[in-house]
Amino acid sequence: MTDSLIFVSQAVLLILGCLFFAVGTLGLFRFSDTLTRIHALTKVDNLGLGFIVLALLPLAPSLAGGLKTLLIWAAALAASATSAHLIARAVHVRPEPPNAGEVEHD
Amino acid sequence: MPPAPASPLITFLFRSTVLFVVWWALTLGELSGLGFGAVVSVLVAWLSVRLFPPSGFPLRPGGLLLFFGYFLSRSVVAGVDVARRLLSPALPVQPGEITLTLNVPEGSPRWLLANTLSLMPGTLSVLLEGDQLTLHCLDTRDPVERDVRATERRVAGVFGLAVDDCQEATR
Repeated sequence: MTDSLIFVSQAVLLILGCLFFAVGTLGLFRFSDTLTRIHALTKVDNLGLGFIVLALLPLAPSLAGGLKTLLIWAAALAASATSAHLIARAVHVRPEPPNAGEVEHD
Repeated sequence: MPPAPASPLITFLFRSTVLFVVWWALTLGELSGLGFGAVVSVLVAWLSVRLFPPSGFPLRPGGLLLFFGYFLSRSVVAGVDVARRLLSPALPVQPGEITLTLNVPEGSPRWLLANTLSLMPGTLSVLLEGDQLTLHCLDTRDPVERDVRATERRVAGVFGLAVDDCQEATR
């Protein structure tokens, strides 16, 4: 009984996680500028990965395995926050040209 | 007055322990690797104390726990918020920038705050210059500054600091 309950909640969490990842990617298409796109990718992927990690925790073979899974999430968060900031700063310092696809002529 | 830095010995012991626990997790508790891991943890901790001496901001376990709770709940809010906007046909966003004066001191507190804000609902750290933080907001109609101040209080709690948040935003 408990086993099937855990199994069902794991399935729900995994699907939820994947859906959030999908929505985050949708953000790349629906949002029009770099900074807004970063909002979609950082926040939604953080939550998506969080759900997937949560779903995998009951499967962890040992305490160390569970901790390792959590460390992956923490490392992804730190990388996500840092790279988001670096890209945002780069865009701020050198703004995108209005027609990004157009070739510039000097 | 800044608080006195933690003693290097305590910082060294703390970092060694944290590194060793990380090693233990990464090797899935493999017994044959523990001895090597212990040596590496101690060496890396020693090097880290040489390169990054203890700051004047020791961590508070209680504040850290409160921060984690706050961070997790706000992460859910942030993800759901962006997902809701993205899935709405009207795409209700009004991006803009806001510059705030931070009340937390230079160093780890400010660094932690700027990075945390990038993962919090509707904010993205763009530029940190001195105590001026420029944020990109997904929707400037939201009470961005109120949320930032709430996060700031939690970050200050991690280091056992008190902040007076009566600073006004300059747009």
